[in-house]
Amino acid sequence: MAATGSVEATRPVAVKRGRSHRAPVYTPYLFLAVPVIMFLIWVIGPMFYSFYLSLTNWDGISSPDYIGFANYQRLFKDPLFYTSIGNNVKWLVSFITVPVALGLALAMALNRNLPGARAVKSAIYSPYILAPVIIGLIFGWMYLPVQGLLNTFLRTVGLGALQQGWLANPALATWCIIAAAIWRQVGYIMVLYLAGLQGVDPTLIDAAKVDGANGWQQFRRVIWPLLAPVTVIVVVISIIDSLRSFDLVYIMTRGGPANASSVMATFMYIEAFNNYKMGYGATIAVVLFLLTSIFIFIYLWRVLQDELEY
Amino acid sequence: MSRITPKMRLVLLLGALGVLALVVLACSSAPAAAPQAAATAAPIVQTVVVKETSVVEKTVEKQVQVTVAPNMRLVYNSYQSDPEPRKQDEDLVAQFKKANPNIDVEHSIVDHEGFKQAIRTYLAASRPPDVMTWFAGNRARFFIDKGLIMDISDVWKQQGWDKSYPKGFQALSSVNDKQYFVPTSYYWWALYYNKKTLDQAGVKPPQTFDELLAACKTLKDKGITPITIGTKAPWPAAGWFDYLNMRTNGPEFHINLMLGKEKYTDPRVAKTMDNWKKLLDAGCFIDNPTAYTWQEGLQPMIDGKAGMYLMGQFIMDSIPKDKQADFDFVRFPIIDPNVKVGEDAPTDGFFAAAKSPNPEAAKKFLAFLGSKEAQTYFAKNLQRLPTNGDVDPSIFTPATQKGIEIIKKADYVAQFYDRDTTPEMAEKGMAAFQDFMANPGNAQQILANLETERARIFAQEQQ
Repeated sequence: MAATGSVEATRPVAVKRGRSHRAPVYTPYLFLAVPVIMFLIWVIGPMFYSFYLSLTNWDGISSPDYIGFANYQRLFKDPLFYTSIGNNVKWLVSFITVPVALGLALAMALNRNLPGARAVKSAIYSPYILAPVIIGLIFGWMYLPVQGLLNTFLRTVGLGALQQGWLANPALATWCIIAAAIWRQVGYIMVLYLAGLQGVDPTLIDAAKVDGANGWQQFRRVIWPLLAPVTVIVVVISIIDSLRSFDLVYIMTRGGPANASSVMATFMYIEAFNNYKMGYGATIAVVLFLLTSIFIFIYLWRVLQDELEY
Repeated sequence: MSRITPKMRLVLLLGALGVLALVVLACSSAPAAAPQAAATAAPIVQTVVVKETSVVEKTVEKQVQVTVAPNMRLVYNSYQSDPEPRKQDEDLVAQFKKANPNIDVEHSIVDHEGFKQAIRTYLAASRPPDVMTWFAGNRARFFIDKGLIMDISDVWKQQGWDKSYPKGFQALSSVNDKQYFVPTSYYWWALYYNKKTLDQAGVKPPQTFDELLAACKTLKDKGITPITIGTKAPWPAAGWFDYLNMRTNGPEFHINLMLGKEKYTDPRVAKTMDNWKKLLDAGCFIDNPTAYTWQEGLQPMIDGKAGMYLMGQFIMDSIPKDKQADFDFVRFPIIDPNVKVGEDAPTDGFFAAAKSPNPEAAKKFLAFLGSKEAQTYFAKNLQRLPTNGDVDPSIFTPATQKGIEIIKKADYVAQFYDRDTTPEMAEKGMAAFQDFMANPGNAQQILANLETERARIFAQEQQ
């Protein structure tokens, strides 16, 4: 409300100026039209086309036949759908907790002029620069049952009993992939928080110090609230990253063993491009899209409310 | 604080909007993939048309200036993306160009998996590539039934291929007595073993199922993994299912199962799984097979830590040259001597698109690819088996001759699980085999689930 109020308050002024001095008000719209049309063609259009395809049995080559909501009926009965959703929830919960906490902790620890802090920051951020395919391959090798680094290490330190066929174990496969993803994600979150910390006014912290706040109180009462906007972005980015996870899963297990580590994106890909069930693949895509957008809308709505109270 | 708030609100809103846009992008880019396939079809067509007309214009000019045979154009897309096959493929095109200087060949090599996904887009285009590589059998049949593959009966007749090609390959290339496909090479599957490893353990290559079980026990007692396999990509497990099912129930039942005419809950399938379970219970297989790709599964066998591997002839491409002499193979052990013998021998080949813009050039190229000369070249350099019976067998290595023997002795030649059944069924089946190898006790439940899928998939196919 406050936001729209302020826009309304400024608008009459702008309109008056525009009308009295410059006649063509539509110029900005013309400029806007270019990206809007591109957006419509390449983003919005395919979105609606996907929705249409989800109502067909298109196999990628015959003409699509309209089959109503049959794909959706099948999807909600498909055990693989529930496995995939469940795994996406594991990704989501892990992603909004572990990398966020670790990233924040690292940012706090490295946000001072310690010798070598810059090198450490770069080192922690560097995994994010690597292509996920490479990370998937390397972690895949580390997880290998006999000659893999992880099991070799366990044997060497006398913990041979803990050895596992990490990615071959249906109960562990998803967590092992998530671990690799977290390793990649932490540096990125850290950089976001470091940027956020740059925006924290040091005088506020000094003021807190003068008031006798200890380190924890400074963090909890001053820094953390000031980092709230960054945290919002971080959490939303983490949710998106977790829901669209595909590359690591596809490289490390291809959703296996026996679909145990399948996520919505790999499920969709295999149905559409391996099984040539484009219609069914589109159905999965639509459901994933709706799930994501519901989640994000709820989140934004809550955030805006919090903002008003604040 | 009050001065910061509006700024922060703005940042927050902008950030939120940006993120929302990202979400839309992230989500739509994935689902958009499907329509993209359709959408790209149109631009492809356009570019082809443009190029095409320009070529035509050029040829017209040439005809006016000098009187030469008109230039023809040929677009050839292939999936021979591995280093060795790629070289052969390029060489063959070069030979064809030399023999036909008036045909302008545009050759693109697409990686194998990408090709499988792209072929539907190629064929859906109104001006598809003229000639493409593909798999014989059901994968080709799917396109033939949709009228997307050119009838090349006249090429077969002209070249006299009904005499040079064995009956089995003729049948594989024909629908209703019309020929659509040129099979060019095939390879056999067999139980490969490391001679040194088996010799040291005092194990002879198993001829029967009981010998296989005994060999497992001996090797295992000596601390050697009897059978290695890598099922990260699940198809090697399907090789075991193919062979165990054909050896237990005969090829006829197996093929009917592949075609969706038999049920996975059939007691005969249960019997197959029982035999597989015997091997699993005896500890024949390497631990954690799903952790390895098929090449990673091969490593312990090269190192002498594993004895046997059920694999296609292409296994030799991945064994270092200096170790190749250690490797040999036997026909997959016989389970029931009264059951007919089926073998997997996947056949590759070529076809021309029905809507090919240059049918004359396409037919010329196919005639060349199926010729004795081209097939001899292919067989010599890649050690695959040529399908053309006119190829001189003296060029074959002893291993190749042994492979031919296996195929000749077979009562039936199947293509392989993921080529004999539909792609969707293959995907479900192979995941089920992965599951079964980890949980052999759940066979009944796994087969029941598979039957549910089979019933659904084949009910759809018949629509």
